[in-house]
This record gives sequence, C-alpha cells and structure tokens, in this order.
Amino acid sequence: MKYLKLHTFLFVFISIFSYAQNERFKGYKIEGDTVVFSFDVRDYSKFTKEYTGQILDFNDFDIKNVVVSGEFNNWSRDNWKMKKINDYKYELRKNISDFNDEFSWEFKYIINNTYWAEPSRKDLNIVNATKNGYGLGVYNLKMYTAYPSENGNASFKLQGFTNAKKVIVAGSFNKWNEDLFTMKKNEDGWELTLQIKPGTYEYRFIVDGRWMEDSNNSHKKRNEFNQYNSVLDIQEYTAFKLRGYTNAKKVILAGSFNNWNESDFVMQKTDYGWKYVVALSGGKHHYKFIVDGEWITDPNNSVKEYDGNGHINSVRMIK
Amino acid sequence: MLRFYFTILCITFSTHLLSASNGIRNTIVFPKAEVINEYTTRIPFKLVDHLIVIEAEISNKKGNFIIDTGSETLILNKVHFPEFYEHQRKQSNASGVLQSVENSYEKYIKEFALENFKIYNKVSDVIDLSHIEIAKKIQLLGVIGYNILKDYEIFIDLYLHQITLTKVDTFGEKLDKNVYLEKIVDSLDFKLKNHTIVINGTVNDQNITFSLDTAAEFNQINKSINKKVLQQFKPMKRLLLSGVASDRKIEVLAGKLYRVKLSETVYFGPMYTVLTNLSKMNDAFGTDLDGILGYEFFIQKRTIINYQKKKLYFINYPYNQQ
Repeated sequence: MKYLKLHTFLFVFISIFSYAQNERFKGYKIEGDTVVFSFDVRDYSKFTKEYTGQILDFNDFDIKNVVVSGEFNNWSRDNWKMKKINDYKYELRKNISDFNDEFSWEFKYIINNTYWAEPSRKDLNIVNATKNGYGLGVYNLKMYTAYPSENGNASFKLQGFTNAKKVIVAGSFNKWNEDLFTMKKNEDGWELTLQIKPGTYEYRFIVDGRWMEDSNNSHKKRNEFNQYNSVLDIQEYTAFKLRGYTNAKKVILAGSFNNWNESDFVMQKTDYGWKYVVALSGGKHHYKFIVDGEWITDPNNSVKEYDGNGHINSVRMIK
Repeated sequence: MLRFYFTILCITFSTHLLSASNGIRNTIVFPKAEVINEYTTRIPFKLVDHLIVIEAEISNKKGNFIIDTGSETLILNKVHFPEFYEHQRKQSNASGVLQSVENSYEKYIKEFALENFKIYNKVSDVIDLSHIEIAKKIQLLGVIGYNILKDYEIFIDLYLHQITLTKVDTFGEKLDKNVYLEKIVDSLDFKLKNHTIVINGTVNDQNITFSLDTAAEFNQINKSINKKVLQQFKPMKRLLLSGVASDRKIEVLAGKLYRVKLSETVYFGPMYTVLTNLSKMNDAFGTDLDGILGYEFFIQKRTIINYQKKKLYFINYPYNQQ
C-alpha cells in the first residue's frame, strides 16, 4: 500500500510564507511529547478578578505568580505553577502523557491565584466559558492535540479554487470540525501545516461549504456518502536501542515495518550498544534484532507477542 | 478532559426496551484482524473519545463496532440495516422471508471464511444508533456484546490498542496454550448476573457492587449510595449525558472517585466518575449495582476477561519502553 509519508523536515520551507495575524493557537504548543504552556502578559488586555468579576488592566497589579488552570487539573488555582522566563513571560512544560486521551481541553491562565487572564475574541482557539450550564460572558482557551504550526508534521495543500472565500481542512484528527482549521491562501491555492500525533487519519477539504477529497493524494478510502476521504499517515521517529552486545560485529534491526528485511537496517554502534532510528506509523510494530546472524528479542522490552507462526517478537507501540 | 457535552454508553436496559425480535444470522468480518492460529485472533481498535471501536465489515458494509460487555447481544444499527429490521418485524407471520436471508448470508460466509477471522450464526438486535454516530462522528454499524464475547477469553489492552480473542472450552480453558507472553500479575473473581460482570469491592471500606462495562465512557456511581462512599467523590462539574437508547439528555454531576479497592491487591488511583441514578437499570436487569466501572478501569488495568471461569486477569503496563 502506498502511504503518503509526511515528516517534519520536509516542510520547514513553509515558513517563508507570511501568515495572517493570530494564525497560531494561543497559550500552548506541543514539542514532541511535551506540551509547553506559555503565557505572555502582553498578549492579554483584560483581566477579571475571581468571584467579583471586577475587570482590571495589566498595570493594576504586580505579577507574583502565574498558574495554568484547566479541565486537566480540575481548574486548580495553585497546582500547575509556571516558571518565570522574564518579567512578562512564564512557561510550564508537561509530558503529553499527562493528557491521556484525544479530547480537547479548556484552560486559562490565572495570575496571583486571583486574576484570570481573559482571551480575546480574536484568538483562534477560544470557546465560550460556561459554569453549571450558564455562559460566563468570557472565553476559555482550548487545547487540541492537532493544531496549526509552521513547523508541523502535516502539510495540506489544495491547488486552485483561488476565487473561494473560505477553505477548511477537516478530518478524524479534529473530529471533522468544520470551522477549526482554516487554510491560508497563497499564489496558486490554499495551504495549512498542522502538528498531529502519529497515526492514520482521514480528511477532506471544505471549499465554501462544499466537501471534497484531496485530489493530489492517491491514498484514499470510500466513505459512507459514496465519495472518498483522503488518508494521511503521520509517522514518528523512533529509536531502537540494544544495550550490550558490544563485541558483536553486525547487528540488524528487522520488523514488521520493513517486511522483516534481514539486511536493510544496519544498527550503529554506540558506547552502550547499538542504535537505529526509523520513522514509524502510529500503531503496533513487531521487531527483533539480528546479532551476528542470530535472531533475538529485545531484552529491555517486556512487551512481546506470538506471530502467526508461533515465533516470539518484541512489540513497540507508537501513539 | 471532561467536555461540556458527553455521551455515555450504557446500553443496558435499552436493548430490552427498544429492540425488535431476534433471529437474523449474519457474518462479521474484521479486515484488520491478526489471525494467530485457529483459536486466537488479535483485533486492533481505536479509541473514539472513550469508546473502544473496531473496524468491521458486515453485509458488504464497512464501518465500526463498539466493544460492549454491558450489552447482552450483538446490536446492529437500524440506519445501516433497515432490511434486517423489516425482516424482523415480519418474522412472526412470515418465516419464509427469514429463510431467504439466511441463504444469502451463507454465500457470504464461504467467500470470506479462509481469509479473515469471522463470527457468524449469532442473534442480533436491530436498533437506531444514529445519535451516537452524530455525537461521535463515526459510521457505526453496531455493538458487539456478551453473546459474541462469551465464547472467548478476551484481553482488552489499552496499551497496545487491541483486543485478543481466544477460544475457550466450556470450562474456560484456553484451546490455544500460548496466547500471552507478558506476565499475568493478578486476578479477581466476578459473578455473572445474566450477561453482566459483577464485581464486589470497597470504597472507603464500604462494600460496593460494581459492574464492568467496556463501553461506559465514564464510571458511574448511584446517587443513593452510602454517605461514607460519597465522601470519596469529589465533584468537579456538571455534564450532559445521553445513552444508546435515545438522544434524551440528562444532566449529571461529574468528579473523581477515590479509594476504589476490589481486593487486597487490586486497587485504583482516582477515577473520573459521574453520579447517576442506576435504579432503572437495576430494575431492568435484576441487578443491585452501586456503580459501573468502564474506560477508567481499563486505562489503569490491562484486563483479561474469562466468562466461564468468572475471573479477571491483569497484565502490567510496561515500565521501560526505550
């Protein structure tokens, strides 16, 4: 099967195009497996006081601390304290495994455990804040595991349709949200780069309300409307390490990802043993090491499975 | 993690209330299944929010099925199988129609028998599941429940995102001796009340009866539960829930439940849980449940279910992945 392989390094050239204002999601970014919450007080013009709802200006108080408060920590006012970068900037890094599913999360920044920094209507990733089913008249920020990023790992392009007013890319990576990912116009069409977790996704373009497949992507799947969804395979660079065996002459990595080829992936010798890095699709992969001709499972991986022939393989999961 | 709008599947009594009569035979094919040998198959799943969903093909239609230990039977979505629904309605006075359906399906079985793992000759209910399709934005062909799962030992693995089905004899002994390579670290007895897996445990040293439901997106505990138990429930927010039976929504209180213990060695960290009224479900099933354990259970425990032995087995999440 012919997969469309998209890697980060292929798309860095994208950054030469200029972007409209507010094209970034506010308040966070995802770097590899780390979620980076970043707060810059200059990005906010309105602050409301807890309980009283009093509206304040940035000059009305000194910042003692900034805390990330959201659905992921039960809207705690003091648990996720941010690190001060300078007088304006604060940052907090969290492992993506602290967010254990594919939901989106609402969050906000709170200063001195009292003042909420209010996102503005212009920010891309906002939702109306509600409490007990009632609107609060302010916005929350929203975090998605897929989001636009100049250095993202999935670049979407649609040629033509230059007279269209609005083009959206929607897919299984954002639950087919029809508003979230607006594509940007360039000389000969539309484009948008997203950062998406590894996995196989389906997507379509919506051109002024009309749904269509990506005609430049031959990998597609028939959908329930008897049309096609385009299919995208997002891969992740994965390091395989074999500790020890430093006296071996040659170690090969073979697995379901390269059809168990016995010569392709020659591992590199390191001070601790052997290493090989390969881009893998989301999902489960079986593998083994071939040490000077002898097949072994990975001694440092407890996850193993039988294959259809009764052989034992090591298993690596990419999520 | 909690969203404003939530769908919880508690298939439960809905099948009793809404389903048409039984009797259709059909074949489900799992194109992504890894057939290990004649007894054992692994099927990868994806998580749609907190639902465990596998890709399948039935009657030439491709789509998704939810794995649901809370459902008594296989359920087919009426939206995609209107013809089954028609036949079912006619069943009582026109048995000849059913016969012809069976014939057409036998052909189908022969076509796929060698290539894929398959399940056939199972009774199914046909109900409208379109509100789940809308809420979850997936094409949902149906729900795989107890009457299919009970013939297998089932390993529900939220680490490798797959279920392993292995055939067992009437005593629950696996016909394939080499199924798992990872170590089983613990086990737990359960009772089977009709199709429902019932587990006795404690919260805050109070005895509690739980059911185990793979399609419960959130754990649930009964509103009228002992106050000492409620002390361990820390509310967070209100949610709107809807079930399989209809798109009627109810508002519930959601929060975290602490100190859930099922044995001396099987216990849990805080679990997202909603406070609901389980009395209707208890009436319909003749159960006396204080709560339902779902996704949160499986995300903390890689679990093997053996219906014949009435036992759960647990495998640890791996510590060191490179």
